[in-house]
Amino acid sequence: MPSLTPLTMSPAIELIDITKRFPGVLANDRISLQIERGEIHALVGENGAGKSTLMKILYGLHQPDAGTIRMAGNPVSLVSPRRAIALGIGMVHQHFKLIPRFTVAENVVLGSEPSRAGRLDMNAARVRLRALCAQYGFVLDPDAEVGTLSVGEQQRVEIVKVLYRGAEVLILDEPTAVLTPQEVDDLFGNLRRLRAEGKTIIFISHILEEVLAIADRITVLRRGRVVGTLPAAGVTKAQIAELMVGRPVLLDLPVPPVSPGAVRLEVQGAVVAGARGRPAVRGVSFAVRSGEIYGIAGVEGNGQTELVEALVGLRPLIAGRLTIMGQDVTHGGPRAIRLLGVGHIPEDRHVRGLVLPMEVRENLILGHHGRPTFCSGLLLNQEGIDAFSDDRIERFDIRTPSVQTPALALSGGNQQKVIVAREFAFAPSVLIAAQPTRGLDIGATEFVRRQVLEARSAGLAVVLVSAMLDEILSLADRIGVIHAGDIVAEFPRGGATPREIGLYMTGGSSSGRARVEGQPA
Amino acid sequence: MRLALLQAMTPPLAILFGFVAAAGIILAIGKDPLDVYGMMLRFSLTRVDSIAAILFKATPLIFAGLGVALSFRVNLWNIGVEGQYYVGAFAAAWVGFAIRGLPAAIHLPLAIVAALAAGMLWALVPIVLRLKRGAHEVITTIMMNYIAGALVLYLLADVFRDPAQAGSPRVRTPELLPSARVPLLRPLLEPLGIPIPEHSALNWFLVLGIALCVLASFLLARSRFGYEVRAVAANPAAAEAAGIGLGRVQFLVFLISGAIAGLVGLSDVLGFFGYFDIDFPKGLGFLGISVALLARNNPLGIIPAALLFGFLDRGAQGVQVFAGVPREVITILQAIVILAIVVAYELLTRYVRTQRKREAQRVAAAAPAAMGEAVP
Repeated sequence: MPSLTPLTMSPAIELIDITKRFPGVLANDRISLQIERGEIHALVGENGAGKSTLMKILYGLHQPDAGTIRMAGNPVSLVSPRRAIALGIGMVHQHFKLIPRFTVAENVVLGSEPSRAGRLDMNAARVRLRALCAQYGFVLDPDAEVGTLSVGEQQRVEIVKVLYRGAEVLILDEPTAVLTPQEVDDLFGNLRRLRAEGKTIIFISHILEEVLAIADRITVLRRGRVVGTLPAAGVTKAQIAELMVGRPVLLDLPVPPVSPGAVRLEVQGAVVAGARGRPAVRGVSFAVRSGEIYGIAGVEGNGQTELVEALVGLRPLIAGRLTIMGQDVTHGGPRAIRLLGVGHIPEDRHVRGLVLPMEVRENLILGHHGRPTFCSGLLLNQEGIDAFSDDRIERFDIRTPSVQTPALALSGGNQQKVIVAREFAFAPSVLIAAQPTRGLDIGATEFVRRQVLEARSAGLAVVLVSAMLDEILSLADRIGVIHAGDIVAEFPRGGATPREIGLYMTGGSSSGRARVEGQPA
Repeated sequence: MRLALLQAMTPPLAILFGFVAAAGIILAIGKDPLDVYGMMLRFSLTRVDSIAAILFKATPLIFAGLGVALSFRVNLWNIGVEGQYYVGAFAAAWVGFAIRGLPAAIHLPLAIVAALAAGMLWALVPIVLRLKRGAHEVITTIMMNYIAGALVLYLLADVFRDPAQAGSPRVRTPELLPSARVPLLRPLLEPLGIPIPEHSALNWFLVLGIALCVLASFLLARSRFGYEVRAVAANPAAAEAAGIGLGRVQFLVFLISGAIAGLVGLSDVLGFFGYFDIDFPKGLGFLGISVALLARNNPLGIIPAALLFGFLDRGAQGVQVFAGVPREVITILQAIVILAIVVAYELLTRYVRTQRKREAQRVAAAAPAAMGEAVP
């Protein structure tokens, strides 16, 4: 732990009684917070707790209705991001704002280009960039095209961009959401180095392991208020989670023993094409039994998307066989597979999961709309749909003004709940769940995981694809690690440590199951 | 509530904006816009013959607009309404003059079915090419328009030209039998005290067009197929994941679009001319695109949109004759109104979306955080 600033010095940033009201919502309610110079201060809270609003105020994107902001003891007025940058506050956004065709150096200087006699002086930029990287221990090639970099490297470019503009305080908004475990380690190394060089870091996250690993102090927000600021040393995940949610939360749900039944889904030697016709899945085989959760762990982009789409009939199998509930559905298509009772929680709810402009009730029956409950002859049975929707909204606590509200108006978490509520309806036999808790806060995540486990006890066969390793580790009965389109290793529950799995995920080990070699690349 | 009012007010406001903008052009040609607009309104709306003319002019536009709008609803561009109505109208005319000895109760429906079938056939080629081969329907429907034009011309001039007209410059089919003609609305309206002038050809196709719009609107909102159409329109990827066959929905809707397009010319050929000739009205299919745009592809919106075009067309005649304003000015006005509506709708849609989001945030924030307690 680094030594905190001596008490005689004013905090880097002091927020006093910040209040921000949106029509009908009190987003920030008299928030007071001190960020010390040279600390990593984590800001945690559920979706809608007010973290983003507070950070937008600090970055000059919103103006508070009341309250004062002081930097180094002096009141400041952050009227715009430009002003915030001038005062040394920098924001690293969750979604990168980079131009893929530009080089690292070009991206970094964009907006504050060094010039000599009106001409862009890229050499000066490169020199300064190298100096910055050396000072903070960043590994970056100034001349590399950003589009060719990994996600972790792109994030590094974003951070350097902020440093280049002279930021003393860095705000990182959910920086780990897009990273692999190894990239997270690298990021944390960079952050510690920045702290050692005297930078102040505000770290927004809802992944508690990471918060505990990196932060010096943690401030918890709930429903627009600060419910506590505590040192990271000595607190547990459960304590923070309880502060966030306002009640005790079970982070590791008890997994009741279930003896698996008959095989419900079996895939043999599946080869599936990805973008530009290259095989993205190269000969994957596994079987999932009733009452069993088969977890697929892997770095995103290793064929999970294509595999999931093939399992639900949205992508053809170039080779191999798919059997569900004893029927060969290799060429079945989405409708036939759905009729066998296969539920599908897609990885991107906006693409495959919801028809955003349509009403919540219409989204709740999507895929079930041909059932007799919802159809009378050619027409839809409005009463049946409304009764079903009311029931789903109640049971899954979907927060919506009405059943007729278009799905696009809901928050991400509530949209996800619409999908979960729909796919768990009518007692599915198999569930293909890709990133089922992505974007959900702790309470909702616990809820979804509970659903999965309860359905498992009732005999559901689940294929669970998740980028969150802890989710796979806590839920899956068997874990397959996918790398470059192939399952490279398989473990029973508790059969491997996260680090071992992480190694397989990055292709770091050549043992384990034999890979299919000699496939056309 | 407030949002609904705003949504309802958008088209009138956009039309008003269009008229204000066009006033500049009227000023530029040295006329008083108030005079011209006053003349237009008086001429179009205070005379029964004008009202009848507006309704008659709007009739084919209702079919054309509905045909185009339906294809737009499934993200397909049916630019081929033009060709589809040409072959449709000719097929109906052929049934009308070539098949003899049928009672009206069979002859007229047969002519209508022929038009539906011909329009559908003309839509079949592009949609099959699109779904099987990926050929873009904008290109193929435009090509089909040329084929339709040339084919109808050939049939008209070289195969079915009325022998009675031989030696005259007139190129047309023989007269249709009375049993294939559509009844006019005049005999129905006159006893009600609505004095429709003798020369008006206002006929039952107006009623059929309105009925089709209402039916389409109802089926889109309430039927299972309509639900699938809306899902495909708004998010094909999600619809596909839900087991809805994209190709099937697009195929069926495109054929329906073509079939309705086949009816566009019938009000003219079965209700007015009584024969098909070389000067049969052209361009109704392209006007249909404007009507669909104005109606935002909403089947019920097609009716007022088509009436607006009928009104502008009639008004153009009025100002040309009585105010000395060239009708091109009115064409410009039409274009400005369409642009204004498109822009206004875009702005309104964004506004409504942000308002809806705020409302949902309010609800989410107001409800207690008791997520885990719910057990299904």
